[in-house]
Amino acid sequence: MQYENRLPEEGINVTRVHPLKQFLLLVIGALVLVVSLVVVLQVSGGWLAKRVPFDFELKVIEELDIEFGHNKQHPQMVTYLNELAQRVAIHMSVPDDMRFQVHYNEDDVFNAFATIGGNLMFYKGLLEDMPDENALAMVMAHEIAHVLHRDPVGALGGGVASTLALLALTGGAGSSMAGSMLSAGSVTSIQFTRGMEEAADEEALAALNALYGHLNGTSALFEMFSDARGPSRRSEQVLERFLSTHPRDQDRVSAVAQRAQAEGWSVEGALTPLPEGFKDWL
Amino acid sequence: MFSLVIQAGIVVSLLVLGYLFGSFAERRHYKKIREREAKGTGLPVIASRYPPQDQRYHQHLVTGSTVVASDYFKNFLAGLVNIFGGRVTPFESLLDRARREAVLRMKDRARELGAAYVFNIKFDTTRIATGRLAAMEVLAYGTAMVPMDKALGLRSALSDDDVLQPGPVHAV
Repeated sequence: MQYENRLPEEGINVTRVHPLKQFLLLVIGALVLVVSLVVVLQVSGGWLAKRVPFDFELKVIEELDIEFGHNKQHPQMVTYLNELAQRVAIHMSVPDDMRFQVHYNEDDVFNAFATIGGNLMFYKGLLEDMPDENALAMVMAHEIAHVLHRDPVGALGGGVASTLALLALTGGAGSSMAGSMLSAGSVTSIQFTRGMEEAADEEALAALNALYGHLNGTSALFEMFSDARGPSRRSEQVLERFLSTHPRDQDRVSAVAQRAQAEGWSVEGALTPLPEGFKDWL
Repeated sequence: MFSLVIQAGIVVSLLVLGYLFGSFAERRHYKKIREREAKGTGLPVIASRYPPQDQRYHQHLVTGSTVVASDYFKNFLAGLVNIFGGRVTPFESLLDRARREAVLRMKDRARELGAAYVFNIKFDTTRIATGRLAAMEVLAYGTAMVPMDKALGLRSALSDDDVLQPGPVHAV
């Protein structure tokens, strides 16, 4: 018998495919998968979270024991803000079990936000620029509308659901990680979608019209936002339209005019001044 | 945010390093394997359990073993394949090289013994790594058939532990 060894034939046991090509395809596939997973969980998590009773939000915020702002040093401001919130909320269909708590923060930040448990935070940086009560009431109504629409708990629920899934995928799903997701940081930096912002604006306009009988002061507020942001270049404006969570200031101004026209609301009317001593309460 | 960028940077640089070093090492290894295989055709390695009957042989166990580890890029790619399924191509070439290298080492040993053939070749493989590290041993072993007339010189080539069976092989 003849025995011989031929050279092994190439390409039978090894698939000929360029590793970089395969890598690129798989990375794109994985990214698409992860992004769609996050979107699905964000939406469904948010949808579910909005069905959690408001009581539960209060319990969560109590559990977290977060110190909001600098309320003790500015009792008059806190009293006034809470009183304004009550006046605004009367004109919004607030469920019986819902409570609002307005806090004051003396940081020089041009912002106000709403978070879970009906907690609203107003910064000194925003309040010191307020020209009249109408503008302030518009911001207040906007933030109350977020709580009314359960936006904070929805955004937080969606965020928690998608973060948990990503942690599970990357193998980091420890109880400590999951526990630390609901922290003071995450609760006070909730991002809403532009749809949520527009809905809050709409609700706020109706409340403002009910409270003052006109919408004067709201356009001025959005123009003030625009000024505070400073002049932006054209390219930035295009980018902002896509990336920003809030509608553009000009769009909000024109939305006020459109809404007023559609509903037959007045955009003219006497502005209510801020209470005396407001600047001293800051 | 900053730590996230650092982490991503580390992963990307490990991927680039893994790919560059891994593909360089693989090309060089394949080149050497092909050269040695071309040179070694004189010593047939046969899978059959039935050796030739025309001559008397000493039988001797010969082994060749390689331990291969994957690089970061291959591991990452294999992890991605794990999501979607399909051939784990990054490990195919790795194991192909390991098998061929093991056979070549086994043949080197057989050649030292003066074997005319290696019969009944078999492969064995064991995972020797734990955790995220991917490393395997690939073992090739067979029966080296050393012609009787060469066996006289073989005594000195073997260590004391080696067992030489002097019997005829046609007892199968």
